[in-house]
Amino acid sequence: MITCTGCALLCEDIEVIIENNSVKETRNACRRGAARIKGCVNRMVPSIDQKPVDIDISLKKAIQILKNAKAPMLFGFGNSTNEAQKKAIQLAKKINAALDDTSSFCQGHLIEKVLHNKFRTCSLDEIRNKADVLVYWGSDAQDSQPRHLSRFSYFPRGELRQRGYEEDRLAIAIDVRESNTAKICKGHFYRIPLKGDREFILALMDALSGKVPTYDPKKMLELAAILKKAEFGVIFAGIGLTYSIKDDIDILVALSDKLPNFHIMPMVGHYNMRGFNENLFNETGFVNRVKFSEGKTIHDDKYSIVEALKENTVDALLVVGSDPVSSLPRSIISHLASIPVICIDPCVTMTSKIAIVNIPCAVSGIESSGTAIRMDGKVVELKKAMASNYPDDENVLKRLLEVI
Amino acid sequence: MGMDIGKFLKSPEHEIKITTYRDIFQIEALERDRFGEDYRKLSACIVIGKNDMQKMGIKDRDRVLISNKYGSVVVDVKESKKEEPGGVAFMVNSPWSNALVSDVTGGKGIPEFKEIIAKISLTKEEITSIESLRV
Ligand code: SF4
Repeated sequence: MITCTGCALLCEDIEVIIENNSVKETRNACRRGAARIKGCVNRMVPSIDQKPVDIDISLKKAIQILKNAKAPMLFGFGNSTNEAQKKAIQLAKKINAALDDTSSFCQGHLIEKVLHNKFRTCSLDEIRNKADVLVYWGSDAQDSQPRHLSRFSYFPRGELRQRGYEEDRLAIAIDVRESNTAKICKGHFYRIPLKGDREFILALMDALSGKVPTYDPKKMLELAAILKKAEFGVIFAGIGLTYSIKDDIDILVALSDKLPNFHIMPMVGHYNMRGFNENLFNETGFVNRVKFSEGKTIHDDKYSIVEALKENTVDALLVVGSDPVSSLPRSIISHLASIPVICIDPCVTMTSKIAIVNIPCAVSGIESSGTAIRMDGKVVELKKAMASNYPDDENVLKRLLEVI
Repeated sequence: MGMDIGKFLKSPEHEIKITTYRDIFQIEALERDRFGEDYRKLSACIVIGKNDMQKMGIKDRDRVLISNKYGSVVVDVKESKKEEPGGVAFMVNSPWSNALVSDVTGGKGIPEFKEIIAKISLTKEEITSIESLRV
């Protein structure tokens, strides 16, 4: 049995059949997980200026770039183990670097609220055993965390929910699009206009307080009545919701105050994004967007990857297990062409294609072991199932840390 | 030989609002080979509701140019299989959708991935390659 690192559910029940040091078959994994476990077709090779070199030479070049940089930044880490993330934090401290991760333009704000105990949250196991009303809000779990409904939320039998979805559980979707998850929530799909989440929350809060909401009163009162009756409710806050209320995340806290039987769970994509947030939080009190300066930690939006690239404030970028050239707007990434980029990844990515230095690493959870933090905060062990020719990212970062 | 006047006539442009979503088949293709044909096919497309397509004179599998001041991409049209209320089209989150995302963030570090305003018109150009979406 291995743990899948395809998403932040970190399914621990995956069987793999390995032949000639490659995965021939997987069992129990979803489509996304099976593809992750079987691996990419384009494995990275060590290179400098896109020309293959020995891995030690690429490491030396990376050290030289980081040593010479006046304003280096370390970015990525959603696909790194806790152990690698902790090494990255140490490295950033040592070289007075800015440090950010993908949560910066994803679920970081919500996870920060969770870590500051701003709203009730719960574990996935509690959801399986107790949850009766599930609200998928701006979240298409069926496509992003594909075994969420089957392992934890809607379909399984649980201690207090013996009759599962047939009788004991009700699923609701609130979304701009009729997603595959919304299709499952038959009769309980609330379609909202683009960026209409805030207005919907305000109307729902009115309905919960017994006022007649101005926005779609009939549906709002019907939804409020369902939510009020819940014994153990959960709002699965997806990226659609987070982006829509990004300027006023506290409105979700206000809604949760009106729903005493509800818990909020940020739906995390990358397998250890929450891990990065927790590891940095434990070390500095912040979840992302920091800069270290002679032992002090400065937290500012200008240290987010997006603002740093937009404003050209970094002069070297180390990217670990992430592909910002693919995942950020093209209007923002042009600065990457003018600074040295170092890429540590198991696979060739759009970022590795523009990097000055590429350092390949083992795939965590298959070719190397470690731990990661599931979307609900549970620490999960990752097991090694086969050998790799390359060190894992923890070891690459350790070597950079030792030499610099 | 007659002159192909059609090629000098620009196809009418329509305003379009686009939001992004995730698709398990596209994510699977990404995991396997982000430079492969499957990932390109599943990413370089726009899903539009039937009524909106009729209004714009666009058909299923037409090729369109989508552009705004941040960038432009050529993708294929897919007719939505669902009843859509209209007014919003859908692109799966990918380098193709990211080519159209605004750089306006108000200094807050989060781009507007979910609301893209652009112009759409029919084209005969080749689908934008992933290689050309690099910096
Ligand atoms: S749901 Fe996520 S962790 Fe579980 S098998 Fe699928 S991709 Fe892997």
